[in-house]
This record gives sequence, C-alpha cells and structure tokens, in this order.
Amino acid sequence: MPKLKPLVLLGLSLSCAALINSASAVTLTVGLDADPPRLDPALSSALVDRQVMNQIFDKLVDLDVNLKVIPALATSWKVTNGGLLYTFKLKSGVKFTDGTVLDAAAVKYGIDRNRTLEGSVRKNELSSVKEVKVIDPQTVQIVLSQPYGPLLAVLTDRAGMIVSPTAAKKEGADFQNNPVGSGPFVFVSRVRQDNITLSANKNYWDGAPKIDKLIYRPFPDGDVRYANLLSGAVQTVTPIDPKDITKLEQNAKFSVMNYPGIGYQGVWFNVTRAPFNNKNFRQAVAATIDREAIAKSIFYGTVTPAAGPFPPGTSAASSAITVQKPNIALAKSKLGGKPLTFTLLTVPGSVTTQLAQVYQAMFAQAGITAKIEQVEFGTLLDRADKKDYDALMLGWSGRPDPDGNIYDFFVTGGSNNQAGYSNKTVDGLLAKARAQNAMSARIATYNVALSTIINDTPYTWVYFQGNQVASVKGLSGLKPIPDGILRFKDVELK
Amino acid sequence: MIAFALRRLLSAIPTLLIVTLIVFAMVKLLPGDPARLILGQEATPQALNELRRSLGLDRSLPQQYFSWLTGALRLDLGTSLTDNSSVSHLIAQKLPVTLELSLFAMLISLLISLPAGILSAVRRNTWIDRLLTLLALSGISLPNFFLGILLIYLFSIRLAWIPASGYTSLLENPQRNLLLLLLPAVTLGLGSAAVLTRYLRSSLSETLTQDYVRTAHAKGLTERQVTSKHALKNALIPYLTAFGLQLGGLLGGAVITEQIFSIPGFGRLLIDAVFTRDLPVIQGVVLVSAVAVFLVSFLVDLGYAAVDPRIRYH
Repeated sequence: MPKLKPLVLLGLSLSCAALINSASAVTLTVGLDADPPRLDPALSSALVDRQVMNQIFDKLVDLDVNLKVIPALATSWKVTNGGLLYTFKLKSGVKFTDGTVLDAAAVKYGIDRNRTLEGSVRKNELSSVKEVKVIDPQTVQIVLSQPYGPLLAVLTDRAGMIVSPTAAKKEGADFQNNPVGSGPFVFVSRVRQDNITLSANKNYWDGAPKIDKLIYRPFPDGDVRYANLLSGAVQTVTPIDPKDITKLEQNAKFSVMNYPGIGYQGVWFNVTRAPFNNKNFRQAVAATIDREAIAKSIFYGTVTPAAGPFPPGTSAASSAITVQKPNIALAKSKLGGKPLTFTLLTVPGSVTTQLAQVYQAMFAQAGITAKIEQVEFGTLLDRADKKDYDALMLGWSGRPDPDGNIYDFFVTGGSNNQAGYSNKTVDGLLAKARAQNAMSARIATYNVALSTIINDTPYTWVYFQGNQVASVKGLSGLKPIPDGILRFKDVELK
Repeated sequence: MIAFALRRLLSAIPTLLIVTLIVFAMVKLLPGDPARLILGQEATPQALNELRRSLGLDRSLPQQYFSWLTGALRLDLGTSLTDNSSVSHLIAQKLPVTLELSLFAMLISLLISLPAGILSAVRRNTWIDRLLTLLALSGISLPNFFLGILLIYLFSIRLAWIPASGYTSLLENPQRNLLLLLLPAVTLGLGSAAVLTRYLRSSLSETLTQDYVRTAHAKGLTERQVTSKHALKNALIPYLTAFGLQLGGLLGGAVITEQIFSIPGFGRLLIDAVFTRDLPVIQGVVLVSAVAVFLVSFLVDLGYAAVDPRIRYH
C-alpha cells in the first residue's frame, strides 16, 4: 500500500492538471462554406483556403479595415528606381513554428517558390518580378522588370505569405498537408470534409493569441451552417445566407457583421460569336437589368448595385461611373425589332438559380428570350475558355488593388477575359494604369478605360458582394477587413 | 457450401472488370477539365498545361485505364487531385465511418421493421395494420434531408440534447461517437425500416396463406408457433434480399445524410470529389462501393443458401 501512495498522488495531480487545462483552454470553432482544398500559398486557388492560411502564415504586408497596406513581416518599405525596386526592412527575431529563423533568405525563398514552383497559381501575379535579392538578414529587395503598382497589394495575399524553407523542402508536394509558417496559429491536423485544427503559436512575435485552439469546419449547406451556429457547435460562421441575417440580428445571443467586400458579380457576353458579336445586343441585355431590385429582393440588401469593377470604399471607386438604371425602351430600340434568343450559362445553387430566373424575367420585358443552362464550376470555366457559350454568370472575389479587379479581365488575351474581348485603346490604358504609382492618376486612367468597356459591354456588372459573418455574442476583436478573411490573432472568446 | 461460395466469387470477376470499365468511362465522360477546376479563375494556359501533364491527363485513354486498373489491383487507387493524398488512404479513413453509420442505421431499421412487419402481417387489415401501413408509407415518402433537418431542429436547436453535427471516432470517445451518430442513424434507419416493414408484411402475409401453414394449424400448433417456426423462416428470404440491398445502398454512400450532419464519411468524400472534379477519388469511391454492394449481395446469397439448401445446388 505505501508503495502505491505516490502513484495515486501522481495520478490525482495529473488528472487535476488535465482538468484545469481543459477548463482554461479556449477553443473556437469556425464554420466555413467549403473544405479548404490546398493549404499551400503557391498552389491555392480557392478563396476559402485563405481563411485558414492567414492564421498559419505571416505575410510581408497586410491590409487594414480601410484596405490600406500596413506593415506585417516588413516593418517598412521604399519604392525607388521609378517603381522598379522595392526594398523591405524585416522584423527581427521572427521564427517559423518549426523553430527555424525567418530572415531575408527565407523571404526570398518564399517569393521565389511562389513564382517558380510547378503548378503555382501565383505566377501571374508575380510575373513582373525579375529577381528577389537578399541585402542583409533584415533587408530584402524585389526587382521588377516593369513598374507594377499593385505589387504591395498582391503581397497582402498568398503571394506574400512566407513558408518555412526547411519544411517546404522536406515535405515537397505534401507541404499542403503539413503547412509550416510563422503565423499566430500552428497547423495541427486535418480530416478532409470534417475539420482543420490549429493551435495557438505561444511564441508569436506579436504576442500569443487569446484563443488556444482554432478549429475550422466545412458546412456546404447554408441551412446546416445556420443550424450549427444556433446549436452552439460553432461560434463563428462565414458566410451566412442573406435570408438568415435578420433572424440572427434579432437574436440577442448572436451578433452579425455585414460589411462591403471587394468582389463583384455580373454577366459575360461571348463577343467572338453570334448573337453577342453584335454590340447592340449586349447593350440591350445590360439595359434590362434592374440592379437595385436584385440587391433588394434576392440579397435582402446585403449587396450593393454595381457600376463597374471597383466597389465603393475601395481606392479606385469613382463617382464618375454610375449604376446603370433599367431602361426597357432603350433595350428595345437597341434590338431594332430583331429577335434575340440566347443561352445563359450558370452553376447550380439556390441563389444562382434564383438570380438566373430573375434575369430571365428582366430580359423578357424587352422581348429577349434566355434559356438557362446549369453546369458545374469547372465545366463553366472550361466552356468560357473555349468560348463555347453565349452569355454566362461569373464574378470575381476581388483584390485590394484595382488592377486585380480589371486588368486580366479586359486586356486582350487576359487569363480572365472570358468574353474574348479585345480593344487596343483599352489594352493601352490598362497597361498605363498598372505602371502608374499615384492612385489619383490611376483612377483617371481607369475611368477613361471603363467608359469604353461599359459602352462595349463585354461584361455587365450587377452587384458588389458583401461579407456576412455571424458570431456568438461572447466573441470580440474580429475586424471587418474587406477582403473577407477573418484574422483570429486578437480575438477573444468569453 | 464452400464450392457454392467459390463458384459465386469466380463469377464475380468479369462483373467487377466491367464495373471498372464503366466507372472509368463514366468519369471520363463527365464534361469539364479537372485542371481548370483546380487552378480556378486565376489559371494561365501555361499553368494548365503543366498541371494536365503532371496529372497524366495528356496520356491516351487506354493508357490511363490500364495504369489505373493495375494500380487498383495492388490497392493503389492513385492520388487525389485536390490535396495530393493517396486515394486508398482517404477511403480507408472514410469507409469505417460510413460502415459504422450504416450498421447503426440498419440495426435501428431491424429493430423497428421486424416487429412492425410481423405485427402488420399477423393482424392484417386491423386498425394496427392500418396505422403501421400509414407510418411506413410516410416513412418511405419523407425525404432524408427533410427528416434530418427536422431532427436537428428538434433535438439540437429546440431541446439542445444532441450536437447538430460532427463526428468523433469510436476509439477516441465511444459515448460521444454514439451520441453524434444517433440522429443520422435514425434518419437513415427510419427510411429503411419503412421499406423493410412493407416487405416483411407482404411476404409474411403471403406465406401465412400457404397450405403448409394451414397444415401446421391443423396439427394443433399455437398461432405463435406457426408464425415463428414455420411461416417466418420462409418469409424472411425476400426480407433478407431487401435488407442486403438497403445495406449495400448505405455503404455506397449515405450522401445526403452525411452532408446534413457533416459526417466525414464515404458519401461526403464522393460529393466533394464530384464538385472538385477529383477523378481518382470518384473512381476509387465508386469502385469500392461496387465491391461493397457485391460483397453484401454475396453474403446475402450465402445466407439464402444456409436458410434454403435448394439454392446451393442450382
């Protein structure tokens, strides 16, 4: 018996410790609308990946609530040589969560990896980068082959996320399943379609997070997401369906953040074949759309009617471009008595289906007949590439710099130019805008380009998306940053 | 019996080969390009070509089929296009979850349908039979997604007894595992119980009118003895078939139920794979489902042969 005593005592104290630990450990569960497919900054092509990667990786620079670029790993930066040379001073003493040092060499490795790795989706964003140079352990330079104003904004997203070179080399293709960065949270495990679990980085350079464990869970169905928030299985959900917002706002247990985003939605017209190689037909269709009515009736006012690619509140938003009002008489005159029948391509989903039917009804007011065809997203993109469609519904998640919302979409041969649109004047203006550094000069250039694009109508903007986040009342510190990515470093849960 | 089992297994080989061909062809016939889906809106033509090459999508179809088939024989079903993990590993991770859910659901279904079916048949055309028929028909007509959401609303949101969704493995925490699986298992079990009750009712009703049952009655056996010893054993054969089909169907993926209750099982793996155009995963899941359905029907056949020796010698 005396022999057993110390063992019993040890057991007791251990279970007490476990109890205290579990009592004080704060776990926050976040509901997402999809399972993030690839947790590798170079390979990620889904918006939802960024929700998780933002906690695991630090970026060179970040965004604040006004979309201003603010210091992160880089404490300061200078742009010289007519916009060709970016010099970044790095924070010292930063370590990756595998214990290795984050210095200029690691930053060079991260950016080079993003722009060269086979299959990297970042190549396009970083195509103007000629070279990354290590000056000293705390100084890194990015040399451009041509001026590229959006560079800083690009570095606030995946292109600027710095991966641990040691881990990336060791894991190879499997890095996306074992991501290592220097961010406020550390990747622990993932079970596909069930959860991604992160734990607090206790040694984070900016102080440890107030949450010990962060769990992401995917709920593709909006009603299921809502039910899980109500039942307490998750404490934060994004996005929440517009129809559930009023109910949550009236419920004292929850709070809702509903703030503007940086993305847009609208309709592409295939200008390379009939019927939409006829500009009048494109203008006629665009003129039938009642953007205000759509924002109110389908989205319960959670979106804003769109005039162009730059949402209100972003740097390039301009009052010179106004929202197009529906004008059935104009549409009819553009048709000139000719019949117009076409197929509207879209993806399945309750909101997209509803929206497609509303469009159909609006087109019909001018005597335009649209047939709706639904295909899944990959097929839609594929058919857009092959120009095998008449018109299609497709938007963009948005980028903080205006260039990311317009350039690739309307420049001749651009990777997102679904219409097959080509206009030499527009090409010149878009190239000029990205080479300009002062935002006022860029806005002026964009406005000239936009007046042509809107008149040519390869695309018609319909609405700007919003970000909808619902949380339990005990959660505080979440900032409404327009890129829609939730940052949990300073979030508290009581 | 062993010879029968062997014969049955050998005859399955050509069937399974045809299944692999159909699965492969089906996936290839799907419109769209996986590379385009993976790279999304930001893809450049160069990146697309690189990815197509590294995924082996530039090879000829017979080449792709043979490398997939020979891999499958070695239990290597390729790697997932979305996150590069092995398909066999993913399936091994998800299959036990769905297996447990299916068995749980079938247990519930058995516990309900056996007594309900017998009662319905024995008390044919009485008020209790009519009530059970009404319940069974509502059970058949009620879609899973509706029943699932209804149960979540009632037990998770209103009463707050059971978490709305999630999964904990049996080894990690058996109590929580059962609690979390209860609602989805009930959702699946009720639907299947309704079908099975109807099967048992009709087959038992028919058996009860047979001559040998009348003979048994004439010999002076009690109602209970006649039903349980003579009629039920024969009436169970069609019930067993239906049971096997239901179980096979569940193993093939309780897709909607897993989606509603966020259970990381086989069905969700398939849905996600379809949406992300993850061809190796779709092929793997469908193939394993086909094998599972075959195995279940094989076991059901063995069950028949055990119940009715005549079947063995066909």
